[in-house]
Formats: sequence, structure tokens, C-alpha cells
Amino acid sequence: MKRSRLSLLLSLVALTSAVQAADQVPLKLELPKPLFAGTPRPISLPNLEKPRTGKRPDLMVPAGTVNLSKGKTVTSSDSLPVIGELAFLTDGDKSGTDGTYVELGPTPQWVQIDLGASAKVAAIAVWHFHSQARVYHDVVVQVSNDKDFKTGVTTVYNNDDDNSSKLGKGKDLAYIENFEGRLFDAKGAAGRYVRLYSNGNTSDELNHYCEVEVHGTIAK
Amino acid sequence: MFAPLSRWLPIAFVALAALWLRTHDLARRPMHADEANQAVKLGELLEHGRYAFDPRDHHGPTLYFFALPVAWLRGETTLAALTETTVRLVPAVAGTLGVLLLLALAAPLGRGPALAAAALMAVAPASVYYSRYFIQETLLVTFTLALLVCGRRWWVTGRTAWVVAAGACAGLMQATKASAPLFAAAALVALLLVHRARPVTPRLARDLTLAFTAAVLVAALFYSSFGTHLSGIRDAVATYTHASGRATTGASGHEKPFWYYLSLFGWHRAGGLLWQQLAFSLLALAGAIVALASRQKFLRWAALATFLLVVALSLPPYKTPWHAVHLVPGFALLAAGALAALPSRGLALAVAGGALALQLTQTNLAVFLRPADARNPFAYVHSSPDVRKLRELAEAALARQPAGIIRVISEEYWPIPWYLRTVPAASVGYWPAPPAACDGALVIASATQAVAVRAGLRGDYHESYLGLRPGFLCVVFTPVSALP
Repeated sequence: MKRSRLSLLLSLVALTSAVQAADQVPLKLELPKPLFAGTPRPISLPNLEKPRTGKRPDLMVPAGTVNLSKGKTVTSSDSLPVIGELAFLTDGDKSGTDGTYVELGPTPQWVQIDLGASAKVAAIAVWHFHSQARVYHDVVVQVSNDKDFKTGVTTVYNNDDDNSSKLGKGKDLAYIENFEGRLFDAKGAAGRYVRLYSNGNTSDELNHYCEVEVHGTIAK
Repeated sequence: MFAPLSRWLPIAFVALAALWLRTHDLARRPMHADEANQAVKLGELLEHGRYAFDPRDHHGPTLYFFALPVAWLRGETTLAALTETTVRLVPAVAGTLGVLLLLALAAPLGRGPALAAAALMAVAPASVYYSRYFIQETLLVTFTLALLVCGRRWWVTGRTAWVVAAGACAGLMQATKASAPLFAAAALVALLLVHRARPVTPRLARDLTLAFTAAVLVAALFYSSFGTHLSGIRDAVATYTHASGRATTGASGHEKPFWYYLSLFGWHRAGGLLWQQLAFSLLALAGAIVALASRQKFLRWAALATFLLVVALSLPPYKTPWHAVHLVPGFALLAAGALAALPSRGLALAVAGGALALQLTQTNLAVFLRPADARNPFAYVHSSPDVRKLRELAEAALARQPAGIIRVISEEYWPIPWYLRTVPAASVGYWPAPPAACDGALVIASATQAVAVRAGLRGDYHESYLGLRPGFLCVVFTPVSALP
């Protein structure tokens, strides 16, 4: 009797998983052309991102997931960038060539995208700058329904290993920018606003963004 | 009562503006590899009184010996105490003197145009940028201008003091950089072609001998480290073997097209930043046309000397942007000549004001807003601001492990020794390839060596990225046990 109940339970779990899996689809990202003049040598280190060979693994997201950030309003700690416009973050152009990225001033800076309504965020893709091998420092990505990011904040990614940005010590891996951008699994984090921090990079003290895509579904 | 004031006030204003632009916030830009290397050599001279001219990889000694009294005056007697501001004060002051020397040189154009020439050099982006850069180029420009001023004074007065001073200036030029004869030759050839008259002196051979003697004595004094290193004089000659190979083979990695130097005075966009000196360049071009069309010997000389210099600098494939500073005085003289040819003083003032304002915006961008930016045409293979973190990292590492060693394992490592200058010599080491044992209180490895370095580490390390310069990444290994 007990064995048959257990079998039934296991069957139900398997069925549920199968239904859930059937709802998951690979996130399709449109990638720009690579801009590196030369190929940086891969680095294999435990605390840093290991080099990947072949295609980036698909990130599975719920069916119906769309790019919610396209054309949405962007604000920033640097409201008057010297180069580019904040609107470049969500204009769909991630080519990385001159005139397609915004440059924010030195010191820690953030950009924030207002999705217009609360959403379940499945994934966030960011292209900081990809015409040169560089690493952006203290990258932190957060989702919240509070536009001031004081309450209900979900941190999706944090590689600020010394907490220099005072947002909490992060354990995520630093990475070298490339044309694929960086894809963060937001795991359905709920929020209307997405905020991304950085603190200069290994080439200069400035902060750049070609494009940010926030993929998810509007919460019902 | 007001005449002297109206004469000297504008000069004082130009001089002060030149000085401020060259000395304000001198530590703003991180040290370039070349600056760092030379500053560490200065540290050796400062601490131990030792300097030996290296004919293979270094230029002449004047930069170090002129920096010495500045360091003393600022109370810095060791490499560890030395600062960016101190070392950069030498070219900064030389650059300001250069502006005043150009004013004196441009006197034949008239008071207003001479002042305009000085003002244009005072704000020129290349001149300001490299007057804040601990390399020899600005000193060479200044000594060249001093040679021309003294030489002209001797030519028209025949006084011995001027010819000896001119010779001394030529000696200083030679003791600054082996390329010095090129700049003197351009000026002399242009003079011989434009000005056929003889100097007023009745004792030409004696005067030229005096000038030559003064030049040789001054150069020999510096190259021999004031008599303490006599083989430096022999090496001063040997340096041409190395320099000619570098200039002609084009195998240095610094080879560039013929028009490179002129392009620095043109117009181009890079990564959203606009770099242009069109107003200045067009004025200079107009001045060259005026020189050709008129019979003004001085302006014709300036045009010809500048043209010869452009050709001489542009022909060799080896080019670096700091050589552009040698073109600025000539361009400024020609631009002033164009201003002098304008039909009204009001128009000349308006044009000069506009050109100065445009140049100032470019100088602000190059010098203060984006001094180490890879898009800045004057920031050549420049160190990243990240390098400033090195000192704190090293000091924290040694505070945790006082007996530990800091290992720098990289095929290229400048300007790291400058930023680790406070670390005792026994506590830091440099390896071009990973040694058998890589462990240390802090290990800094180039990205290309990082895999091999990790294989040589026995302890558990935290790793982070640090940029040495754009496109050249280092991995910093910090022992996990030492982390807070």
C-alpha cells in the first residue's frame, strides 16, 4: 500500500516537473558582431570566470518571456553623460561601435531601467563595452519595486568582493567583457525597476553601457 | 606710468596661465610606464647619488639632474618619498619658460603677434600635456627655443656672452636627447636658405669655436654625471647606433604613417570624443601662405624650419605623439604671422580669441578630463588608473605578512615598480616568467601568465583583475587566509 502511494507521489512529481519543463524555453538573444581586434588568451582561475569553449549554454526561461526593457526609460546617478545618452541602454543597438554606448563618469555609478510595471524578471543581459578586453569593477545587478532601492531589493548578481560599493560583499565571478554580453539568471525576481552598478574598469575609471535587456513577463 | 603696465600685464597673464595649466593637479594622471621608469632612475640618483647614462634604452641626463634640486626643495630625499608632482614640476616649469622664450623669439613679428604666439603655445594641448609628463621632450623644446633666442641675439649684437649662452643651450639640448641635432639643423638650414647676410660679429670663427666648446663642455658635464662617470661621454656617442636602428627599422611597434604628426593637429573622433585643432592649424597654414607671399624673413624662416621639421619627423616610421610638441612653436609663430597680416587689430583679436578658446577646450579634455583615456591621442599606451590600487594592495599585504614577498610575474611590468616604491626592495621581486615557487604575500601576474602562476601556487588565493593599461590585464592573487 505504502509502496503504491510512494509510486503515485513520485509519478505526480515527475509529471509536474515535465509540465514545468515544457513551459521553459531557451532565451534567444540577438548578439552583435565581435569587436576585439585580437583574441585575448583564456584565463582559467577558480575565483574568476573560467573560459568557455563553444556556445554559451542556453538559459531556460518561462515561455512567454519577452524583452521588457526595449525603449523603456533609463535614469542614472550620472544624469548628464558626456558621451552618449541613457536612452542608448534600451534602444536595441548593442553593436558597441562609437555612438552606440553611453559613458558615465568616474567613481561608482548606477543606471536604472523602469519597466513601467512590476514584472517577473527571468534574465538580464548587459553589454558594458566590448571592443576591448576589459573587466568592470564592482558590478551589482538588482531588481526592486522600490525606485529608490531601499526595500524589497533582490540582488541578481554581485562581484564587489570587497564591498567597496557598500551594497554587500559579493561572491560572483568577475568576467572579461565580450560581444556576447553578460547574461544574468534573475530567477523570476519581482520588480518594476532594474538597477545596475559598476565602478570603473581595468582600462579607465569610467562606466559604459551599450545595451541592457531585461527579459521577463509583466506580473498579473 | 601705464605704458609698462600695458606692456607687461599681458605677458604676465600668459605666463601665469601657462604655469597654471602646467602645474595644476599634476598628480591627476597615473604614471605612464616611461615616466615611472625615469622616476625610479631619479630615485637612484636621489638616494645614492648614482647616475650612469644608458645609451640603449634611455635619453639624456638633464631631466634627472634638473629634478634633483626640485626634490630637495620639496624635502623628498628618497625614492619612496618622491611624488608624481615633484618629478613633473621639472617639465612643467620648462614648458612655462618655453612659452616666454617663444615670446622673445617672436619679437620680429611685433608685440601683439608675439604675445599671440606665446599664448597659442601656452594653451596648445600637446605642449600642456607633455609639460606635465616626466619625459625629456618639453625640456628639449625649451632648450631649442633658448638656443634660437640666444643665437639671434648674438647674430644681431655680436656679443660673446650670447654665443656662449647659445652654445650652452646646444649642449643642454644634446644632454637631453640624442635627436637634438635634428632640431638645431632644421633651424640652421632654414636660416641659411632664407637669410643670406652674415652675423655682425667680426670674429666669426672665434665665436663659433666658443659656442662649440661651451656645447661640448655642458653636454660632457651631464653625460659624465659631472665627472663621476666618464664613460657616459663615450656612451653619448654610442647611443646613435641604437637610435638609428630604432628609427629606421620600424620594428619597434611604434611605426606609424607619414602623416601621423600632422593628423594630431587635424580633426578626428574617437569613441565619441572629438579631437581637433583646426583653428590653430588653419591659422598656421595661413601664416605659411603669408610667409611665402611676403618678404618677411623671420616668418619665412619659421615656415621653412617648421616644414623641414615636419618632414624630418614624419619620414622615419618610428613615431610617438610626444614629438608633436616640437611642431607647436613653429605652428604658433606661423599662426601669429597670419594674425599680424589681418587687416584690423579688432579682427586679429577676435580670431586669436576664438582660436585660443577652441584650443583651451581641447586642452581641458586632454589634460584634465580624459588624461589617461585610450581615446586621447596624447595618452599613448597609457597606464590605467587601476595601477593606483597597487600601493594600497602591497602595503596591506605586507602588514598582514611582514616577512612575505610580493611577486610581480609579468612579461611587462612598468609602471608597477613606481607604485611599489614604498615597499622595501627585499620584499618585492619581478619575474618575466613564473618561478618554481610562486607563493607570496601578494602575487600580481599578467593575464597571460596567470594559468602557469596558479599552477605554481600552493596556498589558497583569492583572485581579482587589475588593469595595467587598456587591453593588458593582470590577475592579483591574495592569500585567502589574509583576507578580512
